[in-house]
Amino acid sequence: MTAQIFAVLIFLGMFILIITEKFERHITTLGCGLLTLIVVFGICMHSVSAVMQTLNIQSIFTVDFWYQAGESTESSIGINWATIFFIVGMMVMVEGMAMAGFFRWLCMRIANLVHYKTVPIFITFMIMSAILAMFIDSITVILFLAAVTVELAQLLKFNPVPMILSEIFCANLGGSATMCGDPPNIIIGTSLGYSFGDFIFNTGLIAGISLIVVIVYFYVIFHKELSSQSDEKKSVADYPDPKKAITNKKGFIISCIIFFGAVILLVTHAYTGLTVAFIGLFIAAVTLLASFKNAVKIIKSIDYQTILFFIGLFVVVGGLEETGVLEVIATFIGKVSGGNIKLMIAIIIWVSAIASAFVDNIPFAATMIPIIKSLSVTQNTSLSVLAWALSMGTDIGGSATPIGASANVVGTSVAAREGYPISWGEYCKKVVPATVLVLIISMIVIFVRYF
Amino acid sequence: MSKQLIITVSREFGSGGHVIAEHIAEKFELPLYDHNLLREITDEKNISLDYIKRYDELPKNPWFSRTIRGYSNSPEENIANMQFEYLKKKADQGDSFVVVGRCAESILKNYDGLISFFVLADMEAKVKRIEKIHGISQSQAEALIKRNDKERKAYHNYYCTVKWGDSRNYDISINSSKLGISHTAEMLEQYIKARIEE
Repeated sequence: MTAQIFAVLIFLGMFILIITEKFERHITTLGCGLLTLIVVFGICMHSVSAVMQTLNIQSIFTVDFWYQAGESTESSIGINWATIFFIVGMMVMVEGMAMAGFFRWLCMRIANLVHYKTVPIFITFMIMSAILAMFIDSITVILFLAAVTVELAQLLKFNPVPMILSEIFCANLGGSATMCGDPPNIIIGTSLGYSFGDFIFNTGLIAGISLIVVIVYFYVIFHKELSSQSDEKKSVADYPDPKKAITNKKGFIISCIIFFGAVILLVTHAYTGLTVAFIGLFIAAVTLLASFKNAVKIIKSIDYQTILFFIGLFVVVGGLEETGVLEVIATFIGKVSGGNIKLMIAIIIWVSAIASAFVDNIPFAATMIPIIKSLSVTQNTSLSVLAWALSMGTDIGGSATPIGASANVVGTSVAAREGYPISWGEYCKKVVPATVLVLIISMIVIFVRYF
Repeated sequence: MSKQLIITVSREFGSGGHVIAEHIAEKFELPLYDHNLLREITDEKNISLDYIKRYDELPKNPWFSRTIRGYSNSPEENIANMQFEYLKKKADQGDSFVVVGRCAESILKNYDGLISFFVLADMEAKVKRIEKIHGISQSQAEALIKRNDKERKAYHNYYCTVKWGDSRNYDISINSSKLGISHTAEMLEQYIKARIEE
């Protein structure tokens, strides 16, 4: 009981410190992780095995970590090293692509293809945002898209805010479609043993339907604001040349090949047996070898803070798991829903969405995974259905406010830095209806398809 | 004293710090940057002032803000940083100017030409002045002063390591209600002249 109390206190303390940003968030999770190891596992439980299980280092030295010939296995206790390896690999690859000018070129090329017309740019950028976010972290996607959007807005004289809001929403939606799109999905996939294909055929389907609906929604609410405020006719020479975005032609071609190689490896990983940890390490190694001259620069640019944040977070959640706190919560959800599975799904979707709208959705998802595992056993429910509900709830709920997901923070920040600050009111007024719409679609699809 | 002259005037609400800054700018024929700083930025960036002026010199709301990889969603923080960058750019170009507030004494502390003032005043004097300027009651004036000073303090202390109004942070901290606003301004003018002649 004492261990449980301390595990909960440390967890709550971590959440409060993350929200208040008293310390950088990786310092917070690492500090709380260390407290969990010392106070919960050491002083309260006197359990070396709990420490070892939570640190989970031994998992890296198993064949299953790199290659799984049969069905994927579940491993939600402790540090999810597969997630860490995969995220590092993607960071290295994305950095290589960014250095070569890939993202800016892609944005400019698409704007060029639609002849720099505002509404077609608006629609194609939403689709591009969703597709890119399926494979690349949404922060990178939004960083480049928002910057190019502001640049085009100044050139074509339109308000970039509607376009940035739509891009943010679509990046989060695209991220929900795949296992590697959004951090909660990576954690859900690696912890519960789901493949890229499992996500695409389940959350991907929901995201696809939702994308069509939100494009229509955003067009209806924004098309008037998107009209150009300038009658000035521009010639082709006035527009930026997409080719100029490429800083290194050889690097550009190599990064394109690596990116498509990574997509193929991810799409086929259920068939090849290669795990996401292997794919992460492999694409990182290939990127570094291919960009040998810039290897040190790329390694230095890895966001170590995010990696450390994940490690600390997994330890704190491991504390809750080892002490049985999450089982208590799962039993409570089971009781509240009275064994009604549809109600349970609705609770998971909406509670996850509301929580993710205000707090970081990564710790929330990491905490919920052991809960849904326990629920699936105690309530005799399909774990995958609960996982899809959790994925859509956390990924989409995060869109609702400017602080719900990383893409929102980065997108609104890029806009503000260029002189287009977006208030909470303005953001929520436009994005909350889209969030509710997608959550309803998710619930309907899950109910119709699985019950 | 270097040729560049950067004068920063931090102030309590109602202390007359802004009037003093105007006096100094006029006497030394220097541009004055206050809320008009945003106009300079918007003109340069070709964006609308209406969009950003409501966030000028306001503290960040920690409960509604998040920072990821150095990117913050807070409009207040982004607008503040935009102003800090602009001031640094002007200082780097070797320009001389007078700045009111905006953490300038901390942001520009590494420039040799910096002279920093903090203007405070007795509450009674501040209330009388605000009552007259805004045509409001004593209690309303008091509330307005408290609210504005609270916001200025929170704004300053978020971006700077030294505290707002801490005399160690400024060349001179002066109470304008002792000599009156115009005499205080003249006294500070004399100080600046002495520093220039150094």
